[in-house]
Amino acid sequence: MTATDNVTRVPANVDRAAANARMREVLARFMPPFVLLVGVIVVWEAVSRIFKVPEFVLPAPSTIVAVLIAHQRDLGYAAFVTAREVLWGFVLSGIIGAAVALVIARFATFGRALYPLVVLFQNVPKVALAPLFILWFGFDLAPKVVLIVVIAFFPVAINMLVGLQTVDSNLVALMRSVGASRNVILWRIQIPNSLPYLMAGLKVAVTLAVIGAIVGEFAGAQAGLGYMIQFASTQMQTALVFAALVEVSVLGMLFYYAIEWIERRYIDWMPHTA
Amino acid sequence: MTSTIAPVPHAPAHILARNVCVDFTVAGRVTRVLNDVSLSVPKGGFVSLIGPSGCGKSTLLKVLAGLLAPTSGDVSVAGVTPVEAVRQRRIGIVFQEATLLPWKNALDNVAMLMQVAHASRSGDEIRQRAADMLRLVGLERAAQKRPAQLSGGMRQRVSMARALALDPEVLMMDEPFGALDAITREEMSDFLLEIWERTKKTIVLVTHSIDEAAFLSGEVHVMAANPGRILEAMPIGLPYPRNEESYAAPEFARATSRLRRLLKEGHRQVRAA
Ligand SMILES: Nc1ncnc2c1ncn2[C@@H]1O[C@H](COP(=O)(O)OP(=O)(O)O)[C@@H](O)[C@H]1O
Ligand SMILES: [Mg+2]
Repeated sequence: MTATDNVTRVPANVDRAAANARMREVLARFMPPFVLLVGVIVVWEAVSRIFKVPEFVLPAPSTIVAVLIAHQRDLGYAAFVTAREVLWGFVLSGIIGAAVALVIARFATFGRALYPLVVLFQNVPKVALAPLFILWFGFDLAPKVVLIVVIAFFPVAINMLVGLQTVDSNLVALMRSVGASRNVILWRIQIPNSLPYLMAGLKVAVTLAVIGAIVGEFAGAQAGLGYMIQFASTQMQTALVFAALVEVSVLGMLFYYAIEWIERRYIDWMPHTA
Repeated sequence: MTSTIAPVPHAPAHILARNVCVDFTVAGRVTRVLNDVSLSVPKGGFVSLIGPSGCGKSTLLKVLAGLLAPTSGDVSVAGVTPVEAVRQRRIGIVFQEATLLPWKNALDNVAMLMQVAHASRSGDEIRQRAADMLRLVGLERAAQKRPAQLSGGMRQRVSMARALALDPEVLMMDEPFGALDAITREEMSDFLLEIWERTKKTIVLVTHSIDEAAFLSGEVHVMAANPGRILEAMPIGLPYPRNEESYAAPEFARATSRLRRLLKEGHRQVRAA
């Protein structure tokens, strides 16, 4: 992703060598896990064939692939429903989390009142709120989005807050010395400084958002991958459960890497830790 | 002979501190960090503060730079309080760490304080001045580079350019070369001397390097700890302009050995106490 992107900026002759080097780097990074994954799938397939494991206990990878293809429309629609919940929930978590952090950082007194309450709220087992949200907001999109937000805003808020507060005090003193107001300091120093931290929080949040969507659907839904997993398991359609799980994982990975891509693309002043 | 020695002994004081005391309260306990410190720096003078770490050099500099109010005593810079002098942009500050914004390139880092201080000036005007300042510190070719792409010495020069951009009369520097290797340090010393000779600014430099203090300063204030105070204000009788050969001059050797003795004395007093 980053590879193609940087290549457009360098002159043509450097281009080739750099692209090759990067290709090798990418291969070196992705080859080992890929090989391991293939190995696990092969062993799994072999075991289920040799020992004739019943399909409702553990379907073979080939069976799961067959179901993925056969039910692609149902699965596709379910994935769309879940993705929509994740996206809305995630975006709102990001906005609310960032807003909470900004308020705590900017308005010290109010922040001191709010912060402990936010931390206290974090200790409520929020999954347990899912049935309540169904009760309040129905079976559709809204209760899932609310559940995701209460689960996922916290890491965003906490990470961003750290980023807002770990600015160099000498830098702030310099800005003050030329008459910068608190808003100017917030805008020019604290917020840019917090962006890498915000991204770290968003990466945690997106993972939690997927969990939130699935749990929300378990608690009550008419569509979605979580709904499908629950429904298929009551029907003992284990292969379909696995097929839905595959789609959930792919969905989660897509969201995660989308954020990582944005981070690498736009916030390139922090060294990346793998 | 004395005419070539700066600071000019009877020039009016540009920076004046009288009986400055600073107390810090940590966990309910009051500690005296600076005790009865008085000093005077003439206009265009180059003065160093030297002393063991923890003796209050940074604290004193912060007081002189208006970043910290003394518990008691008076300070004036260019005839006004340091806070007022800062407000009038008469004071430029350089810290030990370059304290640059990692997401901005060298040019924008130099422009950073100007954008706030001279909000009415156009962006072009500010960028032009920032470019001029980068040229002054010999970094015109690094204008587009981010701090992470610059060496420690280059970062420190960007930080100096940022301070110089506001054209302060006084430059206060807190161990600006502390984090650099020995060779880069000497290069930066030469460079600072050159800037000082060219711009005629009043400079207060905090350092813990005896050679640096003796090579650069017209006068060195030797400090001791517990409580922080000035042991002696020692003029360096080495004529300007100074260069490589100054290190070999007998006056340099005399100055450094005396500084060394004073610092040791301060240390002994602490241990005896
Ligand atoms: N903000 C502060 N609060 C409490 N104590 C401080 C503070 N700043 C400095 N000190 C103490 O004051 C003394 C002098 O510190 P400092 O001026 O930084 O010394 P130096 O720069 O000479 O190393 C030290 O003992 C330090 O621990
Ligand atoms: Mg210090």
